[in-house]
Amino acid sequence: MSLPLAHLVPTGLGPWGDGMARLFLEPTELLLVIGLVLLGVQARQPCRDRLPRLLPLAWSLGGLIGLTLPSELLLALPCTALVAVVGLLVVLEVRLRPVVLLPLAGALALLFALAAGSALTGHPGALAALLGETVAIAVVSTLLCQSLAPPHPRWRSIGLRVAGSWITAASLLMLGWLIRHPQ
Amino acid sequence: MVMATDRLNDFEGDYGADYDHLIRLVIAAPWAFCTDLRCPRQGVLSVQGSRSRMDRNGLRRMARTNWPWAWLAGVALALSPAAAWAHADAHPSGGFVAGFLHPISGLDHVVAMVAVGLWGAVLGPPALWVLPVAFPMVMAFGGLLGLLGVPIPGVEIGIAVSGLVMGLMVLFELRPSLWLAALIVSAFAVFHGHAHGAELPAGSNALLYSLAFVITTGLLHLVGILLGETRRWPGGRRFVQAAGGCVALVGLWFLEQALT
Repeated sequence: MSLPLAHLVPTGLGPWGDGMARLFLEPTELLLVIGLVLLGVQARQPCRDRLPRLLPLAWSLGGLIGLTLPSELLLALPCTALVAVVGLLVVLEVRLRPVVLLPLAGALALLFALAAGSALTGHPGALAALLGETVAIAVVSTLLCQSLAPPHPRWRSIGLRVAGSWITAASLLMLGWLIRHPQ
Repeated sequence: MVMATDRLNDFEGDYGADYDHLIRLVIAAPWAFCTDLRCPRQGVLSVQGSRSRMDRNGLRRMARTNWPWAWLAGVALALSPAAAWAHADAHPSGGFVAGFLHPISGLDHVVAMVAVGLWGAVLGPPALWVLPVAFPMVMAFGGLLGLLGVPIPGVEIGIAVSGLVMGLMVLFELRPSLWLAALIVSAFAVFHGHAHGAELPAGSNALLYSLAFVITTGLLHLVGILLGETRRWPGGRRFVQAAGGCVALVGLWFLEQALT
């Protein structure tokens, strides 16, 4: 696989569309975003309101820094482990305070975006792809935060925890796969 | 042979790009069918406080309003080419399709996962959701062990016994304490996960595969829960017991196969 295609699946919609599709076709980032939003929904009001703004901001910042890096950061293993931990927090319904959750979410988004940006280095439409992915993250986080807003019926609280267990399970399997087939 | 290959290529050319539509339909159809779950007063499964109650007319109403989606999904599945799925790794969504189909490719896995939901429904809340939450995570841990090459003896026997034991639990409506039920289900989940983990193909998009795999497992649990909820209808209790009996028989058959 040539370098331009290494981390972007051609959608025919240009780098912008490729960047948006990246979120769904290589969904480690998507699982992180969903996990953080679920944590925010389970936590208090300020988290749920600020996450849709914080995540794209941190993502674009981290991505821009990543684009300037000389080589790709190989962070798949720690990133997948972090997604599993986020899913576990959702399963356990740990209600993190905003002062903990928001910096945590920002730092995780920054780290993931750093790796994503460094992976796109050398791609002719890297900046547009990064922007497309940022917009996709903004849309996904906003839609999820709005549609999952409290008050939660009992079944929805359970559904959030089930989703957390799926995130953890998928990440654990991915973790095993990454250990078995190192990058 | 050449002609067969050409036909296969034509098939892929015609239908290979339609994976995404197919996936969307396969996911959207059950969700659309269950949309009424979001309406506590009108849904088939209305949950009030810690008790869940089956609305007798809910299923009929869902079938009436959402039948186009169900038909659409059925037609899409019927028309989807198996030849294209055979080359699932060529497309990123191939990992998803392969992972989605993998858990339902073996009857021993299917009955055990449906039995988890059935038993959860028999036990009632909170086991109703604790078991389906615990199972995928412990199963993934077993998958991790399988991927790392950590050997677990008697995996096939364990899988067969899981169907037998959980089927008997449902048949006789046994209600152990929550921690014991979770322990039993988790122990069996390790065997299922180990078998699946060892089979995870190297060429797939691993995370999409894993995600789809876990989603299918969760949907199988949901099928079991919905079947188990029929206990609230007249005759439903006997139906669920019969389903448990069938699961136990299938488990017994697989146990016999594994031992010989």
